[in-house]
Amino acid sequence: MSAITRTWISFAAIGTGLIHGALVIGAPLGLGIPLAILGVVEFGWGVLAFTRDTLPAPRAAMVVAVAPLIVWGLLVAAASTLQSPALASVMDVVPWGVAAIFQLFVASILSLHARRVREGRPAARTVPGAARYLTALMVGGLVVSALTTPALAATEAGSYAQPHGEHDGSFTPQRDAPDGDNVDDLFTIPGHNGH
Amino acid sequence: MATSPNRLLGVIFGAVYVLVGLLGFSVTNGVGFFATEGGLLLGLFEVNIFHNVAHVLIGAALLLAGISNKRAARAVNSTVGFAYLVLGFAGLLLVGTSLNILALNAADNVLHFASAVVLLAVGLGADKRATGVSA
Repeated sequence: MSAITRTWISFAAIGTGLIHGALVIGAPLGLGIPLAILGVVEFGWGVLAFTRDTLPAPRAAMVVAVAPLIVWGLLVAAASTLQSPALASVMDVVPWGVAAIFQLFVASILSLHARRVREGRPAARTVPGAARYLTALMVGGLVVSALTTPALAATEAGSYAQPHGEHDGSFTPQRDAPDGDNVDDLFTIPGHNGH
Repeated sequence: MATSPNRLLGVIFGAVYVLVGLLGFSVTNGVGFFATEGGLLLGLFEVNIFHNVAHVLIGAALLLAGISNKRAARAVNSTVGFAYLVLGFAGLLLVGTSLNILALNAADNVLHFASAVVLLAVGLGADKRATGVSA
């Protein structure tokens, strides 16, 4: 597996780890604890993936990459079947969807790599030149960050990071604060009036 | 320098950040040092005077380390990368508040996160042996 592919996978893992971590806030406890563990594991794996020369535990990583997707599907089904608002409130499509994109990317590359190894023809561990490596990394970094940052902002944690009254869904927060807005509003549990 | 990703990255990012810092002064006329709202660089990235100064200093550090040697470049890239990661998180919380002394906006946060992962990936992952990128 080339160094570029490996680093892109690590970026995706870091992105999904951050998103899953941010989803802990506001989630019911039964969901929050596994999410927190998942977030830490994914983030840590991502960092190890670019500091080491090989991917750590690729087979386990494949399971960890795919399992949350299945769980998400089941939870969405459960939330709609059981009509549970607490569960549904943490099923926002933007953060889970972006995390899912990252996980699908990691899972596909890992399974492709595993199939190649099984068939006895692993892709060459290519060593790209410095310029190509850096360009590829910058592109990967920008793509992951451009997806992760709005996904983080769309979580419950992200909504506390913005002063209330500015939820107009735009990517860049508006520069004019609404009248009467002050810093104290950030620290009160919002009554969600004014949406 | 051309074969060491860390030195190359340090020089490129360093030069770009110094340039960005200097250009930032052209859009922050009349903006306060710690103003929570500033001018928009390239129409997208909000900056104030403090932000511009920070860019110039960080860029200079990256550039100098990149020019010097591999070990310095690795160390500075990793350190700055980690600092940008922290800043990316802090930025998510600071946007729109009165503590936003760097006048950060969402576009700034994306760029800081992106810079952070690239700097960390190269600082921690490359130049570990004699030749540049580790397979």
